[in-house]
Formats: sequence, C-alpha cells, structure tokens
Amino acid sequence: MSQDIQKIPADSFERVHIDSSQAERITKPSLSFWQDAWLRIRKNKAAIVSMFILLFIIIMSFVGPMISPHDAETQTLTHANLPPKVPGLEKLGIMDGYGTLAGKEVDLYELKKVDTYYWFGTDGLGRDMFSRVWKGTQVSLFIAFAAALIDMVIGVAYGGISGYYGGRVDDIMQRIVEILIGIPTLVIVILMILFMEPGVTAIIIAITITGWIGMSRVVRAQVLKYKNQEFVLASRTLGASNGRIISKHILPNILGIIIINTMFTIPGAIFFEAFLSFIGLGLQPPAASLGTLINDGNKVLQFQPHILLYPSLILSLLMIAFNLLGDGLRDALDPKMKD
Amino acid sequence: MAEKLLEIKNLKQYFNQGKPNEVRAVDDVSFDIYKGETLGLVGESGCGKSTTGRTIIRLYDATDGEVIYDGVNVHDKKSKKDLKTFNQKMQMIFQDPYASLNPRMKVLDIIAEGLDIHGLVKNPKERKERVVELLETVGLNREHADRYAHEFSGGQRQRLGIARALAVNPEFIIADEPISALDVSIQAQVVNLLKELQKEKGLTYLFIAHDLSMVKYISDRIGVMYFGKLVELAPAEDLYNNPLHPYTQSLLSAIPLPDPNYERTRVRKSYDPSVHNYQDGEEVTMREITPGHFVYCSEKEYVALKAVSSARV
Repeated sequence: MSQDIQKIPADSFERVHIDSSQAERITKPSLSFWQDAWLRIRKNKAAIVSMFILLFIIIMSFVGPMISPHDAETQTLTHANLPPKVPGLEKLGIMDGYGTLAGKEVDLYELKKVDTYYWFGTDGLGRDMFSRVWKGTQVSLFIAFAAALIDMVIGVAYGGISGYYGGRVDDIMQRIVEILIGIPTLVIVILMILFMEPGVTAIIIAITITGWIGMSRVVRAQVLKYKNQEFVLASRTLGASNGRIISKHILPNILGIIIINTMFTIPGAIFFEAFLSFIGLGLQPPAASLGTLINDGNKVLQFQPHILLYPSLILSLLMIAFNLLGDGLRDALDPKMKD
Repeated sequence: MAEKLLEIKNLKQYFNQGKPNEVRAVDDVSFDIYKGETLGLVGESGCGKSTTGRTIIRLYDATDGEVIYDGVNVHDKKSKKDLKTFNQKMQMIFQDPYASLNPRMKVLDIIAEGLDIHGLVKNPKERKERVVELLETVGLNREHADRYAHEFSGGQRQRLGIARALAVNPEFIIADEPISALDVSIQAQVVNLLKELQKEKGLTYLFIAHDLSMVKYISDRIGVMYFGKLVELAPAEDLYNNPLHPYTQSLLSAIPLPDPNYERTRVRKSYDPSVHNYQDGEEVTMREITPGHFVYCSEKEYVALKAVSSARV
C-alpha cells in the first residue's frame, strides 16, 4: 500500500485549507416562519385535499348558479318534485329521472313531459335544486366568513387590550366577558332575531354578538404570555412605543394562533347558521342557505330524499374540510404544540 | 475615585403593596456606580438582584426612592423626548438568550430596532452598514444579518443581545445574568467580549450574576444582596479577602476550588439571620467600616467590625 502511495506524483495532490472565515457560512437558505409552515402543511395530505375541496366548493358557489340552465328562484310548478337527471349518467341507471310514484318506479320526467335536465332535481315549487344549493352555499359561506372576520377583529382587539394593559382594565374587561358568557347564546340570538328583521345581517350579528369571546380569551392568554418575554422588555428598554411593541413583537408572534382560531370559527359559524335556519330563526324564503335547504328537505325526506341529500352533503364536506385544514394549519403554525 | 454616573438612593420596589401577599423585592437599597467601573451584584436566587436592575432601567416603576443618572432623577415624570435620551444612554443585556430575541424577526431588524426607534440612521443602506459593523464588533459576521434567531447557538445569541444594546451607543449597560444560561467555555468568551467593549467604548456596567468567580473576574466593586437588602458593598479584592457580613462569609465559603487540599478542609458556613439579634429601635444601615467597604449593620456591630478589621490590618 505505502509503495503505491509513493508512486503517485506529488502534484496530483492539492492541499485543502480550512478557511475559518467560511466556517460560519450556511448553505441552506434561511426560511421565514411562513415558508417553514408551508413546507410542513404540504406534507399533510388531509389538509391539502381539504384545501382543494374548499376551493372547489367556493368556486362552485359562484359558478354553479351560472352554469345551470335554470334560475334558482323561478318557480315552474309543472316541474315540481323532479328527481335528479344528469345527461350521460342517466344511461348508467343512476340520476336517470326515475322516482317512485304510488309504489312504482317510473320516469317522472317522461310522465310530466319535461324535456330538460335538472341535475339535482327540483323542489316542491319546481325550482332548480342545483342553482339553489350553490346559491345557498354562497350565502352560508358569506355569513361564515363575515362572522369569522368580525369575531377576529373584535376578539383580537378586546383580548389584546385586556391582556396588554392588564391591571384594572383587564379586571373590568374580563368581568364583562364573564357576564356575556353567562347568558345562554341561544337566548341572546332569539332575542336578536325577534328584535331585528330576519336576514343575513341579523344572523351575522347574532353569531358575532358572543362569538368573539373565544378569540378574545385566546388572544388575551397569548398577549399575557408574550408581553413579559425578554425580547419585549428589550424593545421597551430601547424606548419602543406600545404601538411598536404590539405591531412588531406581539402580533407577529400570535398571528399563527389567530389564524388557527379563525379557521375553526368558520365551520362553527356555518353550522350555527344552518342550525338557526333549520329551527326557523334564520333566513326567510325565498332566500336560500344550506340550513333552509336542509330544513325544506327534512320535511319531504321520505318522498324526495334528493332535496335533503345535496345540501347536507355540501354542509358535511364544508365542515370536514374546514376542520381538517384547521388541524393541518395548527400543526404547521404551532409545531411545538405548546398552546 | 472617578465621578459618579449613577446614584441609587433608598430604592424600594414592593409588589402587591398593602396586600397580604406583599413582596419586598428591593427594600431600601442605596449605592453609587462610578463612571467606567463594573459593579457586580450577587446574591441568591430571588433576592432582588434582577428587580433592582429592572427598576433602575424603568421596566418597573419604583415604589419609592431615587435613581439619579448624571444628576437627573430618571423616575421623575418626563417628556417623551427626555425618556428617549435616557433610553439611549442606559441599555440592558438579558439573561435568557433564547427568550430575548424575537423569533419572527431577522437579525438585521432585531439589531436595528434601536436605530429605528431613535432615528439614528437615514436610509436602509446606512442601516445595514451599521448593523454589519455591530455584528463585527461582537465577533459575528455579515452573513448573519439575514438569518433568524433560532439559527444561532446560545453564545451567538447572547452576542446578538449585546449588539442590540450597543446599537444606540449607550454609556451604561445593565447586564442581567448575561452568562448564567451559557456553558462555561462560552461564558468566558462573552465576559471577555464585555470587558473588551468596556475598554474600547468606556462603558459602565452593572453586572448581575450569581456565579461568584465570574463576578470577581469582571467586577471592580461587588455588592452582595440578601432578601431585598444590600448587605455588603466593597471593592472586589477586599470583599473576597476580607468579607465582613456573615452572609457574605457564608456565600464565599460555598465556592468550590479545583484544589483537593483546599476542598478537604473547606467548611461550608451557613448563614442564620438571627445571629444579628437586632433589638427594637436599633438603627440598621450601611456603614463604612474601612474606606469603600460598606456593611449593613447596627451601631454595636459597627464597633465590633471596626475592631476586627483594624486588628487585621
């Protein structure tokens, strides 16, 4: 072996220097918090699938009513109570317009001499369910997003002020919250609805009137945790104003928690709206939301199951997708699961 | 000795004042800090060292007493502008290098925060240059500016904390246990860095710690605190060779030395506050036993201590 080494000419070796000035260099690019979170959520299949389902539902809620040949509110009484019929699928024996009439399977479209297709069927007033379901989804989503946004704004402001200023301010603000939370939500909501005209605004107000409390508590706890951290104290010794400390130090650190909380508020709001509409406190006809559609379908479940099927399918998908996405976001934004 | 930079007179910091759970974290403490010196502050955990530091820099509002910086009382009500100049002169280095840097900010922004608040730089280019200069001062380099705090080791993070404090060109730095979260080899690096900076920039330090050997190494004078009170204040050498207060003696007897012969004979003295046996109405204050060496004692003890120390000389 040693013989072989000596035979190799010396100039084929090159001296490697350890350059101490290069020792601190990093080859890996520095990732910001959000890039890091994106890398983590990309690995979570359920969250990604949920995200696409949500995107699909949101897009469909706008596009759906437009691609349907029928209007959502036009009543065609002769076309009432038709089962779903989709071109193409009808040859496979599903969604072919057949329904039970007096105990027999008959083609209701032929019977009623209807020559168009209703993809999700029609309701008792002959309105196209396809457009109605997507219109309803649109309304439900709007209510949910508006409620979540208002919850977030009020909750973050209230919790932030309460936690940051502390002391007597905190005492008074927390007592107010405790009083509010002591009243059953449904009582407040029913009073609100009686007081105001039933409609989208009334429902949003009803959801947000106590909905922000959860957010405010989470934010208060987080602010309490961060406001005495040494980096905040350091900023204060440098002479930073309260506004600067809140916007540069506290908010960026609790933003993840706020987003996660909002992600869980949205399905809560959708569900609460559906619940209100279902018990008749929500939107009034002819306006449709997922809740009112389910309420309509519930009455004719035994004869016309398709009226209940589609809106409840969309509602379930929305709930599952939002919750899975929220879960994924929590894992991605709060990897230490400290909170 | 040099001129006084900071005078602390009867500083008190009580928490939950007037309630059953009142805590007297700092109880009637007075001392001076001279320009260019390092004053070490030692004592057991929870004796009020850090609270003293934080009260001096106004992180807490003092219950009573005065902190006079360059002839101005810093705890008076002040205009925003005066406060800013004060904030610029006095800075703090924190204990926990992991909690003292905002995890969502890049090093560039962390260090430049003081520059932004006090408007010390005019444009982003100058800001960057100043930050790089500061990084180099504390032994880091240019590439570090674009990283996040979690990409650094404990020692590097503490250097960043020092760079942040230095950014506003302070005269006086309160170092609140800056080395207690670091391992021993890194402790030496950080302490040496602080010493170098002191020489270069003529800084004055209040060095809070509980590692006695480190405090002896860096300090010119040392104050010993016990339960919110300053019990002994003396030049470093004097305090180590000639501790007068029984608590200081107890504290010094606890230092282990890497010397088996010494360790075999070392006796750990324990401190029992009842040895003082103070009578009602007896005035217990800081009294000067030998020049520059103050002990918290009563008149009777003062006479006794005076006799002991003159016998030693």
